[in-house]
Amino acid sequence: MTKHHSQPVGGYHPKHVGSHVFLVILCVYFLIPLWWVLVAATKSNRDLFVSSSGALWFGQNFSLFDNITQLTTYQDGIYWRWLGNSLLYALLGGGGATIISVLAGYGFAKYQFKGRGFVFMLVLGAVMVPGTALVVPLFVMFNQVSLLNTMWSVVLPSLLSPVGTYLIRVYCQDALPDELTDAARVDGAGELRTFWSVALPQLRPAVITVLLLSVVATWNNFFLPSVMLANSKLWPITVGLNTWLINTRVSSGADQVWNLVVTGAFVSVVPLVIVFLLLQKYWQSGLTLGALK
Amino acid sequence: MKSHTYGRKALACAGATLLAVTTLLSACSSPSGTGTTGTTGATGAAGGDGSCTNKITKASAPQVTVWAWYPAFEEVVDLFNSTHDDVQICWSNVGAGGNEYNRFTTAIQAKSGAPDVIQLENEVLGGYLIQDALVDLTKYGANDVKANYTEGAWKDSSSGDGVYAIPVDGGPVGFMYRQDIFDKYKVAVPKTWEDFAQAAQQLKDAGFQGYMTDYAPNAIAEWQGLYNQAGASTFSFDIANPEKLGVDINSAPAKKVQAYWNDLISKKLVATDDAFTTDWYTKIVDGTYATVVAAAWQPGYLSGIAGADPAAKWVSAPILQWNGAKPAQVNWGGSTFAVTTQAKQPDLAAKVALDVFGNLDAWKIGVEKAALFPTYLPELTSDSFKNLASPFFNGQQINKDVYLPAAQGYSGTVYSPFTTYYYDQMTQANAKMIQGDITSDQVLDQVQDAIVSYATQQGFTVNK
Amino acid sequence: MSLSTLATRPLEERRSTARRLTAQQSTARRSTTRRSAARRQWWGWLFVSPFLVVFVLFLVAPLIYAGWMSLWRKGLVGKVKFTGLGNYVTAFTDPVFLHGLTRVGLYVLVMVPIQIGLGAVIALILDVAMTRLARVSRLLIFLPYAVPAMVGALMWGFLYSPLFGPLGQLFGIFGASAPTILSPDGVFGGLVNVVTWQWVGYYMIIIYSALRAVDPSLYEAATLDGASNVQISWHIKLPLIVPSMIMCTVFSLIGTLQFYTEPMVLRSSAQSAIPSDYTPNMYAASLGFNQSRFNYASTISFSLGVIVFIGSYIFLFLTRKRNGLR
Repeated sequence: MTKHHSQPVGGYHPKHVGSHVFLVILCVYFLIPLWWVLVAATKSNRDLFVSSSGALWFGQNFSLFDNITQLTTYQDGIYWRWLGNSLLYALLGGGGATIISVLAGYGFAKYQFKGRGFVFMLVLGAVMVPGTALVVPLFVMFNQVSLLNTMWSVVLPSLLSPVGTYLIRVYCQDALPDELTDAARVDGAGELRTFWSVALPQLRPAVITVLLLSVVATWNNFFLPSVMLANSKLWPITVGLNTWLINTRVSSGADQVWNLVVTGAFVSVVPLVIVFLLLQKYWQSGLTLGALK
Repeated sequence: MKSHTYGRKALACAGATLLAVTTLLSACSSPSGTGTTGTTGATGAAGGDGSCTNKITKASAPQVTVWAWYPAFEEVVDLFNSTHDDVQICWSNVGAGGNEYNRFTTAIQAKSGAPDVIQLENEVLGGYLIQDALVDLTKYGANDVKANYTEGAWKDSSSGDGVYAIPVDGGPVGFMYRQDIFDKYKVAVPKTWEDFAQAAQQLKDAGFQGYMTDYAPNAIAEWQGLYNQAGASTFSFDIANPEKLGVDINSAPAKKVQAYWNDLISKKLVATDDAFTTDWYTKIVDGTYATVVAAAWQPGYLSGIAGADPAAKWVSAPILQWNGAKPAQVNWGGSTFAVTTQAKQPDLAAKVALDVFGNLDAWKIGVEKAALFPTYLPELTSDSFKNLASPFFNGQQINKDVYLPAAQGYSGTVYSPFTTYYYDQMTQANAKMIQGDITSDQVLDQVQDAIVSYATQQGFTVNK
Repeated sequence: MSLSTLATRPLEERRSTARRLTAQQSTARRSTTRRSAARRQWWGWLFVSPFLVVFVLFLVAPLIYAGWMSLWRKGLVGKVKFTGLGNYVTAFTDPVFLHGLTRVGLYVLVMVPIQIGLGAVIALILDVAMTRLARVSRLLIFLPYAVPAMVGALMWGFLYSPLFGPLGQLFGIFGASAPTILSPDGVFGGLVNVVTWQWVGYYMIIIYSALRAVDPSLYEAATLDGASNVQISWHIKLPLIVPSMIMCTVFSLIGTLQFYTEPMVLRSSAQSAIPSDYTPNMYAASLGFNQSRFNYASTISFSLGVIVFIGSYIFLFLTRKRNGLR
């Protein structure tokens, strides 16, 4: 990666005090909820309500492991199943959306076919359709083909990523010169081979970005699965936690599991945060792909 | 661009990590799963098959799918399944209250996906009746067990001559108060609503920093109970004439009750926190509220977080009255089991609805594990239930003292066929009243108008 | 969701790329024979086809279906009947829907500038300050993006609770009583905060990427002339990242008009402050899944879709000279 910026202007100025104070304040603000959920996950049900140390510091008893144990036993450990479902849907939906977007973005960018302009306009328009507006009709449609209450009712609609397609197209146009693909064709490579071994390696930063965006979008999905899935064993973590939250609030059946709601929220945040931290080089380079050339 | 080869490795590595985590997680969850057929993600059509939360031991018997939200229901299901050879319950917990109702509503619209038997609160039964979603249980012998249930509970699950659900638990209302607070400020514990307002003022004058109680703008079911206690009969509806609906929200008794509370609010004698929030629970247990108008299920729910205030000495008493000579009882909450019209074998489904809580063994679980308040008379009037000592009330026998007479004295309510909508309207109007934007009379007048126009628009002939 | 990189390329650079590409394409076109051109057309469709299948099945079809459903009317009692555009007449005179629209409009006016403005300011600072602290903060500020909106709203809901969360204690230090964020007066700010927390980092990263693509030679001269960082940021860098800020605004606009998850989750702890019809999307969901009025719910969804479409289109049209879309 070449950088115009290897020597940033003003990089050594010692007088960034003001902006650094600002950054510290921002960091505190952005961390508070995560810190709170970490602290709260170490408290028992009762300590959550009556803790002399306050909401932002650990209580006298450290109950994190108790809470996690309870997560694995409460309702037969359905929590972990929800987390697994979320991962599965995110990988299938996000991965599938990425594959489809890469193919389509490449097709739109590199092939002059009739109707291309019109179809692409439609794609752009699709970005603006509220996803939630589709949930009611999708529900009725999935019911007619007996896909309701199956994982497919959540995964299939997630395959659509107009944004991803758009991104790949823009990136193809900018970062994939026609000489490159033409040269491969002159060498006798077929269209698929050209795509696979010439174009795809060039597209890697864009692919990672799109993968990240679609995985996160599927992982965040809440409205769609809460409508499509009645079977609690198929729920993703968002729907499951919300159900626990509501059940606990109206305290149905004497089950106040505030500690599980909080610990569940904490545990559910951990995987994606870890993925983001591990992959930061890649998503950052992916999102900075404008600077790549 | 050497980052590419590195990138590929890292990407593959990340992918492998994710996969490993997924596998690990599914490996973790499967042994503790059900062990029944088809627990894989892709199965589970029609709300039930293969999605039972409980273990089915007698695989050859026909199954009845049930939606219910009490976690302790699992033991009741196991009991039912072990004592029945001809039918087995396949239970799913799809969420409490509104969460479950939304799924049921969608399943009705989709004409599939509903369970055979569903736990519903009394107040929403009417809404499903007009959608033709519930089976009349009289032809499956419901009337034979009528004598086993309290009068009010039975009426709440019937409409006209039809019986559309079998009662499970009820919510007779009592009055719980902090004896220590009243003692400390030397104020007499009230017996009537007039006393209550006076005592509130006296507590405040004596220096009590908290509130007499909480007027929760969203606890409409509770306030509806208090309107009824004062003599209101808000709705009239009978499924035999589903298009006719009587609406009398702004009746004189309701206005009296509403004005009474608004007066206490404007004098800052009662708090106005939403019910069922974390703060509300905290304030109940930490002594911010000196009293709570509490349904029978509430103390049980509070015990999980009790202990915030070691000095707390809670006492349970009968609900306050307007007219001590003619006591009227109040109910808040309560649920039933109904059979849906999507049930493939309604006779078996009805058997489940009738039998699942129709015995003392099931009720032992319901009372001890789920803090349910029975409407089933053999349990309700049993000595063991009557003499139950409540640890939250320092061993007071609250069932005998308060809730049993309340349950037996309750005579039933007629609900509208769109309770959630009505409650939403009332909640918003109450919030406006608390802000001081509208008067207590305006709350009821405005909601009356809103409900009448909504009902008319929905095709009802409204009788005001 | 968003089109992050579309916006990351500065306008000038993209234009020159475009010119170069057109030149390349014309040479390429001359060199290919007609038959292979036809074959390549076919390949083009083939690459695009999986997307089109998904597009038609899960976007076009449901949209048409929603449109069809919205032409019928059914009350709670009585039969279904065809009403043509009758439901739309009802919708656009329905005070609840109109109120919800006004409300999300207000959220757009408040939330969008805060998110984009804060995102841009942070990005400009990070572009100048290349210290370890800056790198760490870039990561931390982006982190909430990894938290599902539902979980974010859940956490803030607890934090807003004066006794359960820290507010009561924090304000208690100064002898003040905690703000009642979950009250009808406070919930607007509360929701703005949840969304800001969740999305600022995302917009910050997009704008930051655009900044990294700016050629430093453009402002090296200014630095030598003694211009301060603030002056350079304001006069040189900011105009260059306008296209990416416009795209961020579009995403934020679309997202805000569809406001749903955060108010829905907060509602469980603030029922009197957030009615079930707080936003048009919540209204549609409540109509359908709670009141069984699926036809009217479709009308509301469809109307909202049209409004979002028109709104974003107008915005893109007004900014057509700077938005980098051709």
